[in-house]
Amino acid sequence: MGFDPAFALSCVPTILSAIGTTLLVAAVSCFGAATIGFLFEMARRIGGIAGMASGFAIDFIRSTPVLIWLYFLYFVLPFYGIRLGSMTVGIMGLSLYYSGYLAEVFKAGIDAIPKGQPEAARALSLSRRDTVIYVIAPQMMRNIAAPLGNYFVSILKATPYLAVLAVPDMLGRAFDIASETYRYAEPLVVAGLIFLALALLISYGVKRLERRLLAGGTR
Amino acid sequence: MLAQSDPIVGIQGLNKWFGALHVLNDIDLTVASGARVVVCGPSGSGKSTLIRCINGLESYQEGVLRLAGTTLGHKARETAAACRQTGMVFQSFNLFPHLTVLGNCTLALRRVAGKTRSEAEDIAMAHLEKVRIPEKARSYPGQLSGGQQQRVAIARALCLNPRIMLFDEPTSALDPEMIKEVLDVMVALARDGMTMVCVTHEMGFAREVADEVVFMDGGSILDRAPARDFFSASGHPRSRLFLETILRH
Ligand SMILES: Nc1ncnc2c1ncn2[C@@H]1O[C@H](COP(=O)(O)OP(=O)(O)OP(=O)(O)O)[C@@H](O)[C@H]1O
Ligand SMILES: [Mg+2]
Repeated sequence: MGFDPAFALSCVPTILSAIGTTLLVAAVSCFGAATIGFLFEMARRIGGIAGMASGFAIDFIRSTPVLIWLYFLYFVLPFYGIRLGSMTVGIMGLSLYYSGYLAEVFKAGIDAIPKGQPEAARALSLSRRDTVIYVIAPQMMRNIAAPLGNYFVSILKATPYLAVLAVPDMLGRAFDIASETYRYAEPLVVAGLIFLALALLISYGVKRLERRLLAGGTR
Repeated sequence: MLAQSDPIVGIQGLNKWFGALHVLNDIDLTVASGARVVVCGPSGSGKSTLIRCINGLESYQEGVLRLAGTTLGHKARETAAACRQTGMVFQSFNLFPHLTVLGNCTLALRRVAGKTRSEAEDIAMAHLEKVRIPEKARSYPGQLSGGQQQRVAIARALCLNPRIMLFDEPTSALDPEMIKEVLDVMVALARDGMTMVCVTHEMGFAREVADEVVFMDGGSILDRAPARDFFSASGHPRSRLFLETILRH
């Protein structure tokens, strides 16, 4: 049973038909993970009880397999009367799981900002909020563009985990073809190539963004 | 309201500790409107901490620090309003690297003083002219020399129209050939009547513009004298010794 290019080509439309699901899950999860991760990091910086809880949550999340989060949200939440669609659960699981990692990325990005920066902002009487928005966040962004992009690619590559929740993503479609035709090589290669193309696209986008953020050179 | 003759800064019995370290020990200092005070002293003597207290960057534990008629540290809103009357220039410039020179100067004008973009840019350009660097308005800090960056930092601090300017060793991170361009700007500022407190070891500058020189050591003010007397033979032995060491090179 060799690799049949014609059959591979015939798989493309079926698998591509799920690209929307994959991209939607990945995009919303990236957004969710970044938002939750940023809030975690802000809470950790404020310190006190919220800071300790947040620090613990970040470590806890990073030390558990993503599948446990997905299964937990999918099978345990309904026990408490919370019924969510499998795609919603999938997005929640990926967002939570990656928020722990992104909190660490934000931490490194903020730690790399010299402390003279917030001091200068204070000396100019900027409010805390304006300091975060106009001084800290933009400098954090230029520090973290590269690692952030890597995690976005990771999130994209993690979307097939949602197969365990029967979310019809691209890998799911590939398996559908495989189980109907008993041919695995072609659909898997096609799905793999599409993921590769998407990952390259994200990396390229991040590189361009990084170059724009670094306009005018660093310090 | 503040009467014209009231001092801008009035410090009495100021004490500050960092943990067990007694960094400011019973400081008394008055800065009248229009006065130019130079603060000098060996490393670790508390000079930076003192001027950082004056604009609220550091808090203090004992004593009274009145700025523009307000005792700092009592009521948050009034403290913030008083601190808005200060401008600060740091040793390491601390310009915002992601903003252009103009962006650095207009940020507080727009966000704190509530100016529109074009109002803010007009004000900023006027101050950039004053520090003689208007042609760099669209450049980023990373594209400027140290001396240019420090002049931009001075313009940025002036934009909010402060009543007192605080300088913390503004020239000590600069290459020797750039020190003069920054000092020239500061001298011009002094001639314009700006109230200034300046931590510096540039004794030529002190001689030229200071009304009063304050010598600190170990968190205390050991000696304070009109600039004329400070540089004559009459000063405190400890400050004479210090002067000799810094004037030797
Ligand atoms: N945030 C801080 N926490 C703990 N100790 C500090 C802090 N800032 C300064 N100190 C200490 O307080 C003392 C006075 O520091 P300060 O920076 O005011 O001295 P300085 O006179 O400005 O010295 P230099 O000439 O080196 O700038 C020093 O011993 C310093 O180590
Ligand atoms: Mg200092």
